[in-house]
Amino acid sequence: MSLLKEAQQLLDKLKTAHKKNDWPAGKAVLGQLRIKLIQLPAVPPNTGFSSPTAQQELLLARDVYEHAVLLALKSQDEAALESSFTQLKTFYADTRSLLPAAPQEWMFAGLDLLRLLVANRIAEFHTELELLPAEGMAAPHVVSAVQLEQWLMEGAYNKVLAAGKSLPPECSFAVEQLSATVREEIASCAEASYSSLKLADAQVLMMMTSKMELEQFAEQHGWAIEGDLVHFYRAAAADANAEQHLRLINQSLLYAKELERIV
Amino acid sequence: MVQEQAAAAGANDAAPPAKDAEQQQPKPFSVKEGMQGIITLLEKAVKTKETRLLMGRLMRQTAMVRKHMTASDLVAFINTYLPKDSNSAGFLKGYVMQDGDTAPMEDDATAAGDAGDGADAGSALGPSQLPEVELYMYLLLLVNLLDRKQFAQAREVADTAVGLLQQHNRRTLDAIGARIYFYYSWAYECTGALADVRSTLMAAHCTAGLRHDAVGQETLLNLLLRNYLAYNLYDQAEKFRSKAQKADTWRVPGQYCRYLYYLGTIRAIQLEYTEAKEVLQQASRKAPTCAHGFRVACNKWLILVRLLLGEVPERVEFSAPGMRTPLAPYFELTCAVRSGDLAQFRVVSEKFAAAFRADRTTNLITRLQYNVIRTGLRRINLAYSRISLKDVAEKLALPSAVDAEYICAKAIRDGGIDAVLDHAGGFLATRELTDLYSTNEPQAAFHERIAFCLNLHNEAVKAMRFEPDAHKRALAAANGGKEQMSVEEIARAIEEEEDDM
Repeated sequence: MSLLKEAQQLLDKLKTAHKKNDWPAGKAVLGQLRIKLIQLPAVPPNTGFSSPTAQQELLLARDVYEHAVLLALKSQDEAALESSFTQLKTFYADTRSLLPAAPQEWMFAGLDLLRLLVANRIAEFHTELELLPAEGMAAPHVVSAVQLEQWLMEGAYNKVLAAGKSLPPECSFAVEQLSATVREEIASCAEASYSSLKLADAQVLMMMTSKMELEQFAEQHGWAIEGDLVHFYRAAAADANAEQHLRLINQSLLYAKELERIV
Repeated sequence: MVQEQAAAAGANDAAPPAKDAEQQQPKPFSVKEGMQGIITLLEKAVKTKETRLLMGRLMRQTAMVRKHMTASDLVAFINTYLPKDSNSAGFLKGYVMQDGDTAPMEDDATAAGDAGDGADAGSALGPSQLPEVELYMYLLLLVNLLDRKQFAQAREVADTAVGLLQQHNRRTLDAIGARIYFYYSWAYECTGALADVRSTLMAAHCTAGLRHDAVGQETLLNLLLRNYLAYNLYDQAEKFRSKAQKADTWRVPGQYCRYLYYLGTIRAIQLEYTEAKEVLQQASRKAPTCAHGFRVACNKWLILVRLLLGEVPERVEFSAPGMRTPLAPYFELTCAVRSGDLAQFRVVSEKFAAAFRADRTTNLITRLQYNVIRTGLRRINLAYSRISLKDVAEKLALPSAVDAEYICAKAIRDGGIDAVLDHAGGFLATRELTDLYSTNEPQAAFHERIAFCLNLHNEAVKAMRFEPDAHKRALAAANGGKEQMSVEEIARAIEEEEDDM
């Protein structure tokens, strides 16, 4: 009993730390809470025991994991985010039959999808998506994440950036990374499709706010700026040749080896 | 050979017409003979420790017996071939009796009489002490219950069978054990409790690996993959598959086909379409002709993967015999993608939403939207040498010219279309087509085909088996006209020689 009460007190402390965006304090409290959670009999992985306060313990544990995720989001700590999301997801999966469903489960699912999307882990994004049932797919966060992925794939980057600006506050971690990713993508598309572009147009295309930014960007990518135009070079031809030669040699050797084997 | 393996794969078998003519005779008779044959086979195989015999012939004969077996037959066999006092006999008979046929009670007497005659008339086969025979009876009962759709009871029988199986460590039990696990998993699947089975299957898989039980390992690997995929746990399935011990060559072709199919679906979800297509094509080719449902499922995924890769499947594939109805939604989908019409695509996907959800391909189909746009772009690109971006937006039903510009840029970068954008003028211009034969494309296409043929040759060589008595025949041929001399003749010949000298 007292264990539960202590855990509850710690959780309250965690919540206040979260409100104040105090990451170090929150982390400390979280550490203590995790130890308490292991001691509680009804929380997985201790599913062998049943206790009278099982429901409360499970609800408490769920709260803890959710706040862990939110704290990690605020502090932009990648490693902590990854581990806390994994814990939360396994917890949801394990206790699906034991606890009433919580609507915020889908919010967290959507956040997870968004995180995978901006990190460009598209394969994992899709495997996660497969796991969601129909009601999960209808939740607003999930829907926006899926929509973003589609736009990214189609190449409608202007829509992506516009949507990025209108995301809810929890997703603020994503916006910066999203714009960076999008800009890179636009840059590589532009390289492939335009031979040259006016500076002003290039700026609008890549949604940059100032000329300086554009010039820095051009430096990074090896584009030449001449007067009013930006020239995109395609310098990959030479390497391609060498690769081709190597490939042909490999293929011929393979044929020779296999034909020799035929008795 | 192919048909026999179909039976081994547990698919709906098509009993060869010759056998049917034979079985026009009173059915119990040939079933009894079949059973006798099987028991003889089992005993011989165990004595000579010949496991290959078990796998092939046993499964074939089981398939033939399965169709005609009735409850009374089963009781008769249990009485004849299992020792009277074993626990299994009582347990199994209990389940057979539960069937609700009133007939067994009467037929029991006659059946017992027949069994007695049969046993005397045939070889002197009595109750057998082999665990193989015992577990084989379990297998027969399981199969029978499943055929009659009595899933709850099948589940219980399967539980006991698996428990019994785990007490033994005999290689001759591998084949039967693998089948028992298969039906065990199926019984649970039909009762909707597949998740419960996972830990048992996993433990069994580890044990099979330790004991070098190749057949068991393969079957259990596939069963576990199926388990994970049934719950959409693609991530876990992939992790398991990559870490699981697999033999270099697969013993059972049916299991190999299944493995390829599961692998193909995992790859398709993970966006690795080239590999998925290769694997699914292999699965579809290696599957026996009677495994109809399997091929339909394979083809559905194959069509989707090909659409996602940007190629359009041929119309011929959709009208193959027996495939037309199940593949009809996919055919309409292909038409929509081919025409590059986004509105029509949406209509089609709504229309067949239920079918797609049943096939679990809904997410893949949402991914196809991009392909529709790309195909539309490609058509425009081929038709026009220069077209303004505004017109492109109109044709593709995109909201604005700016969107169209971004989308075109991305398509160009991905290699979907071969063109250049002009921002100032606001149009899309096609680059001149180069002569394809002066590039490396033909070489690449040839290489694919050559590699495939060489691979085929190598696999055929590996699959060859020598006849066990071939060397004896060769020896006899070498000795030719020479008679074999007996020992005495040789002794006399030597004496004669000595005399001569």
